Amino acid sequence: MSIDFSKVSTEAVTKLYGVTRALAGVDAEFQAGEVTVIEGPNGSGKSTLLHILAQEARPSSGLVRYDGRRIRRGRLRAQIGVLAHQSMLYPDLNADENLSLFASLYQVTDPATRIETLKERFHIGRFAARPARTWSRGQLQRVALARTLLGTPRLLLLDEPSTGLDTRSVELLIAAIAQERTRGAIVVVVTHDQAFSSEIADTRVRLKQGRVADAPLSNEALS
Amino acid sequence: MTTLRMAWLITLKDLRVEWRTKEIIVTTALFGVLVVILSSLSFYLNPTMSRRVAPGVLWVAIAFAGVLSLGRSWGREKENDAIRGLLLSPIPRPSIYLGKWLSGFILLCAIEVILIPLVAVFFHLDLIPVAGRLTAIVGLGTAGFVAAGTLFSALSARGGARDLLLSVVVFPLIAPALLSAVVATRELLAGAPLEETLEWLRVLGAFDIVFLAGGYALFGPVISE
Repeated sequence: MSIDFSKVSTEAVTKLYGVTRALAGVDAEFQAGEVTVIEGPNGSGKSTLLHILAQEARPSSGLVRYDGRRIRRGRLRAQIGVLAHQSMLYPDLNADENLSLFASLYQVTDPATRIETLKERFHIGRFAARPARTWSRGQLQRVALARTLLGTPRLLLLDEPSTGLDTRSVELLIAAIAQERTRGAIVVVVTHDQAFSSEIADTRVRLKQGRVADAPLSNEALS
Repeated sequence: MTTLRMAWLITLKDLRVEWRTKEIIVTTALFGVLVVILSSLSFYLNPTMSRRVAPGVLWVAIAFAGVLSLGRSWGREKENDAIRGLLLSPIPRPSIYLGKWLSGFILLCAIEVILIPLVAVFFHLDLIPVAGRLTAIVGLGTAGFVAAGTLFSALSARGGARDLLLSVVVFPLIAPALLSAVVATRELLAGAPLEETLEWLRVLGAFDIVFLAGGYALFGPVISE
């Protein structure tokens, strides 16, 4: 199934892991063509919220609406791209093999052209033939980003994407996020990196102990 | 069709990784060879006894090699959290199960190609006259073993205690199939007629259908949160 992804919203979303409450009634809204940065201390529920938006986890209570509709879990996977701290790439395969595998799984039309475009965009060509276990953190993250964008996702979820990256890789990441925003994707980024956050954020949501700490702030309001 | 096509992609990926690293084949085959050699030194008395002992040795070697290879295969999915990449992709969950099952089956068969002749040599058995029926018994036994093992390896790969859980849960579960395979092999080597072998093949086939259908249906709920 496919939807427009003009908006994703959470309504009183709570998530319990046993007796631990990771999220406690989170209301938030994420708009197309906008980058929302989720901030907060460790354990505030940021990554849990991303898991729920990605339909990887079910909320214990509350609702997630995609374009105002409740969508059965797993139906939107083709339109959601997730970049996590772990690259989700196979260490013994090279960049071409990793990207080809995921392009096939996402049933990308004309995968060869799409892969070449992304390789060029993220300067992957130089190390593409080497297996992933030989790459640096920055190189790994660039290919992981290419993997995330293979299916041209409408909802892009990035969990601490700038961690461990050098300046050049962070610049590529910022440019990629800007490009996805311009394309009209909903971009949600979890980060602790204030400098990076101020470069990309249109709106910020601050979580504290599983709750939204204050009303979402636009970048203009913050400045 | 999509399920089978995606499953095949996952099988090809596993085989490509194994072709490059040779890790599973080399380590588990060496382990299996060690079991066969040590058992032959301990248990070989005479040609009559060897026909009774060899099936047990063969299946112990296959079962241990199988647990090791499945554990390693799913260990690869844990590296870089690659399994999450598969789970996030828009493919039917059962295709992951079928793909991992097929690659596990092919790899264990490759190990058996080394182990079976070795058992024949060390236990002085002439397996050529029964090669067809033995292949059928080993093939069906392996298919069922890998079907159950793949499901529980997936479960443990998402949790913490990978190999422990696999050994503790899989062996009791597949015990009936394993016992059937051992007895079928023993009867075959003792000169059982074709009809008797066919009975055992039916039993093993039934186990395979149950394990594969169970794995296919349960994999999604098992692997998801």
